[in-house]
Amino acid sequence: MAISTEPEAALSVLPRADGSAKYSHAGYTVTASVNGPIEAQRRDEHAYEAVVDVIVRPAAGAGGTRERHLESILQSSLSQIILIKNFPRSLIQIVLQIESTPENDYVNTKLVQASLNFPIIPALLQTAVLALLSAAVPMRATATASVVAVVPEGQTKRMVVDPSPRDLDIAKSVHVLAFTSHDELLLAESEGDFTVKEWDDVYETAQRICCRPATTAETDMAIDDEAAGPDMRHFLRSTMETKIAADLHWK
Amino acid sequence: MPREAEPSLNEKQFLLQAIQENLRLDGREPDQYRPLGLTFGDEHGVADVTLGKTRVLARASAEVTVPYADRPLDGVFTIATELSPMASPAFEVNRPTETEVLLSRLLEKTVRRSGALDTESLCLVAGQKCWSVRVDVHVLSHDGNLIDASCFAVVAALRHFRKPDTSIEGGVLTVYTPAEREPVPLGWLHSPFCVTWSYFGDEGETALLDATRAEEQVRVGSCTISLNRHGEICQIAKLGGTPVDALMLLQCTSIALAKVKEISSLLDRKLDEDTKQRNKGGRAAELTAENDR
Repeated sequence: MAISTEPEAALSVLPRADGSAKYSHAGYTVTASVNGPIEAQRRDEHAYEAVVDVIVRPAAGAGGTRERHLESILQSSLSQIILIKNFPRSLIQIVLQIESTPENDYVNTKLVQASLNFPIIPALLQTAVLALLSAAVPMRATATASVVAVVPEGQTKRMVVDPSPRDLDIAKSVHVLAFTSHDELLLAESEGDFTVKEWDDVYETAQRICCRPATTAETDMAIDDEAAGPDMRHFLRSTMETKIAADLHWK
Repeated sequence: MPREAEPSLNEKQFLLQAIQENLRLDGREPDQYRPLGLTFGDEHGVADVTLGKTRVLARASAEVTVPYADRPLDGVFTIATELSPMASPAFEVNRPTETEVLLSRLLEKTVRRSGALDTESLCLVAGQKCWSVRVDVHVLSHDGNLIDASCFAVVAALRHFRKPDTSIEGGVLTVYTPAEREPVPLGWLHSPFCVTWSYFGDEGETALLDATRAEEQVRVGSCTISLNRHGEICQIAKLGGTPVDALMLLQCTSIALAKVKEISSLLDRKLDEDTKQRNKGGRAAELTAENDR
């Protein structure tokens, strides 16, 4: 199976939802739909702000504790960037359907896994943000996320951005970091053994991927050569630009 | 969760009058399907079906489990249909609607009970180990005729699916990883498909194939016929209170057979194309561990 290293996205793929996006990166494919602001149920509604409801649906098998955990992580991150105070007593519903995950050819996969699937969080968050943009839900900032694994290599350790399932098996620790478009840290989740120094390195790597400043056309080439990993912020921007250009084609 | 918006009286009458004059809003013939599309994913067992604006994703998966105590020689085969709010905000998680119950029931009758998948071939060690094959149906977008689209997606996903190869030596079961041995296809016996007719008018005198969501909201009854391309009928479900003329039902069945033949050849062609595409190096024949039946 060919795993694409460059992220790909399509906006407004579903005809009925208010906003939707399909995103694939590093073997993960996720489709998201956003409906909102819609009427919240009586028992959920909040008098001063909108309720953000995130539903994660696995590709195979029924959702369990793992999905509920992912939902709670995403829910708290997305509530931070959506202007929920603008929509009291309403609901913003985000459904994330996982379509495919990278498979490890050397291990037989079990359907029900209790462990947390860390490396999928960036794909989920990225798709959610794209779908929210497509639904034109007012947001304080956009967000970009990245996953970094610390993989031992002999005596030293190596940072792997967007690790493959085999890298994850041998990784000492896995970190997920998300940043807003104002370069603020939005989400930091870590798993495994690591030192403060390692975390600082991971933070720098993730920040380089998520928060690369906008470049002009001339300097673009030079930076591409040395930079490791995709430029998520530029990707988000160019996806939206393409979509808006297509939408305003008639003008 | 908001309720599904019902069409207004004007919309209803406009649609019904058009149907009475043998016109459909999208300009189709009464017995014409919307364009049916099928794409397979990178992995085996993922089928993405589009029928007009309706879009269904089916995904097959398998794992080794213990068989049911009352059926020690059979494997486990389940079809999971859960409609998420992605299809429509009116659907709620963990609260099945009537649409969902009907859909899962019809898929169960069409694919599972008609014996399309040979469940005995899923048995590994009698009474101890068997394959559990599961198909998850994800409705991404609901614009009518979920049943036909879902059934097509389920059959396509199962026929495209490959389960890991196994061997038993001295009572020890080995499940090979995809890197060790090429996965093998499922024991497939026949491919049933659903064809749904919708009836309109006071006495159900007008029949339309492949209703859109707007048409589904104003119909008086529907009839889902499941059959394979040999004309063997797996089930007929006539839903809605209005009785339908018997002769018309017969006519519907014969048109359904013609449609199933078309759908069936479309699936065969797509599967062939996919096999060719995967077999780029021309080594698939060497890699396969499958025996001829």
